[in-house]
Amino acid sequence: MELLVTLRKKSLLEKIEPIVDGVIIGRLFTSAYNYSLQEIRDIAEYCHDNALKCYIAMDNFISEDDLETLDAYLMFIRELNLDGIYYHDLCVVERAIPYGLLPRLIYDGKTVLCNTLDTAFVLSQGIRSAVISRELTLPEVRHIVEGNPHRVDMQIFGHLRMSYSRRKFLTNYFNEINREYDYLNKETLKLVEEKRDYALPIMEDDQGTMIYTDYIFEMFRELCDLRDNLRAGIIDTLFIEDESLIVQICRDYARLTPENREFIRNNLIYNHPDNYSTGYLYQKTNISKDE
Amino acid sequence: MNKIELLAPAKDLAKAKIAIRYGADAVYVGGKLYSLRSRASNFDLSDLKEISGFAKQYGAKVYVTVNIVFHDSDFYGIREYLKYLEKIGIDAVIVSSPALIQIVKREAPNLECHVSTQLSSLNSDAVWTLRRYGADRVVLGREASMDQIEAIRKKVSVPLEVFIHGGMCSNYSGRCVLSNRMTLRDANRGGCAHSCRWKYRLYDGDELISDPECLMSMSSKDLRASAYVERMIKCGIASLKIEGRMKSEYYIGQVVKTYRRMIDEIYERGSLSPDRLAYYDEELSKAENRPADDGFLSGECDSSKHLYGVNGAGVTHDYVAYVRAYDHIRNMAEIEVKNVFARGDEIEVFGPELDNERFKVQLLFDDDWNEVEIANKPTQILHVRMPFAASEGDMFRKVRRNDD
Repeated sequence: MELLVTLRKKSLLEKIEPIVDGVIIGRLFTSAYNYSLQEIRDIAEYCHDNALKCYIAMDNFISEDDLETLDAYLMFIRELNLDGIYYHDLCVVERAIPYGLLPRLIYDGKTVLCNTLDTAFVLSQGIRSAVISRELTLPEVRHIVEGNPHRVDMQIFGHLRMSYSRRKFLTNYFNEINREYDYLNKETLKLVEEKRDYALPIMEDDQGTMIYTDYIFEMFRELCDLRDNLRAGIIDTLFIEDESLIVQICRDYARLTPENREFIRNNLIYNHPDNYSTGYLYQKTNISKDE
Repeated sequence: MNKIELLAPAKDLAKAKIAIRYGADAVYVGGKLYSLRSRASNFDLSDLKEISGFAKQYGAKVYVTVNIVFHDSDFYGIREYLKYLEKIGIDAVIVSSPALIQIVKREAPNLECHVSTQLSSLNSDAVWTLRRYGADRVVLGREASMDQIEAIRKKVSVPLEVFIHGGMCSNYSGRCVLSNRMTLRDANRGGCAHSCRWKYRLYDGDELISDPECLMSMSSKDLRASAYVERMIKCGIASLKIEGRMKSEYYIGQVVKTYRRMIDEIYERGSLSPDRLAYYDEELSKAENRPADDGFLSGECDSSKHLYGVNGAGVTHDYVAYVRAYDHIRNMAEIEVKNVFARGDEIEVFGPELDNERFKVQLLFDDDWNEVEIANKPTQILHVRMPFAASEGDMFRKVRRNDD
């Protein structure tokens, strides 16, 4: 299994390079980690020079107006010889074929890839891998991963994206209350529902608005049994500002064994107390209205 | 050129029949399983068979939603279900799972596959990809502008379906699992709790930055695309879809009838005048329980297209009775009470063949022929004298006085 981490700051590269197998960056058509084209070029170069894999994320929907921009972006990616492209919109498959990029595509449908058959089907289109949904129980994850060995990626750490809208919720809200505020691409904003007490990170960028789980998903105890069949495990660092924690998490996952997993997990909770959760791994979410 | 299809929702058999009687070319309904609106009454197997037969009498089609985001265990029984739908003459299934398209093509090849808006298809290449997967029709995402819809249509031959009316997800369909976290109900398997319509405080770090008098909400106004119907017809959209599998028979009847008349008028006259559009908008507003706008069709959704300070839908009380039968000898309608009205109230009656005829309630009786002053028991059967004939399926709404 490749251990990948989303690169929230270029300065992290040197610190994590000896630990992880690759980084995921993004710019155009992405929700975070905004880099200039030159910065992407520099990061790709650094990765190549240091045997670090370099992936790029396009985790948004693409409108008809943006298809030509997508072409230019794919040409740029081909030129950089990146190792893979995480994509969200199905159009990327059609657009990537003429550039010979199909075998480098990794489908990340975020919430919609929840079963073995759909995973096998999208993989049969000639792409490299697919990221399974975060809303799965552990037996469901195991079934999909074992049914598609070495072709499945999954998020193994970080806040989970819960919603994605083209609407600019923060812009609209501040307009509604006539308040000027610096909110774009900010990682410190949180929503608290009026009858609940947990705080959901919210971020708006030029592609829309995303809301994430209040908790940080982790699966230190579960990963050992899955990783032989996983292609990649992804550490998502969005909303995690502490660079030392990010490096620690990378190191912990890199050295994870069945023998030390409890210790690693307990150590993390003790040294970096936060709201950690195994998400839906042990929590079904198909409760009906009658329950 | 094929006439554009008017596609209506129905949460149960009675509402599906109303939709068809009021002019829908097709209805989409959910079975007890595999459907995204688990709170709708939905159709059991015999209901599906009945509505399939009923629709055929009217030359209408029936589409069945099989559009949950499937987990492995959800596929149990799906092959038998699809074969049953094919056998009873269902025309299409609405799906969001690419693998399910393959299963349909193999197990029930006479069923068309319409790809749900759950996949948020917003460009021509995404549509082509779905065509390659086997889609017979693609429902576009509600985030496309009218200009983009026209551009997509020019590039693809796949029939396209577009939402024109009803509630709007504020997030991309299928990409919102707020319900999962907040209520343990899977939004993508029929459990959406509409958490986007709740109110939220906004913090920057520990500092409260929202206005306590106007909390933040992601709640969207409803969609009303009446002003775009003509362009959709002219650019070759295959189907115009009304949202609302949770909605009442009144909503279904009023909205379907209005769009039916509007579409027919555009075909007959070639276009719709501003006055006529204003008339149809007024008709649509009679069934609206939330403010409405044109969503993304005119471009971005700014703050004027959001709802703040409102948790959920309001309830309209204009709809007061449903006509069960009409006695032409006594000039009496047998009605089922839906909301309060009284002797002396002015009532507007509409139906598939009846256009907003008004009368003042003067004689009102219960089933034992006792005179009734006020109709205030929902589902009670009453009899009312009318100065014109009505038919089964017509509906009464109270005409609001200026001081109401």
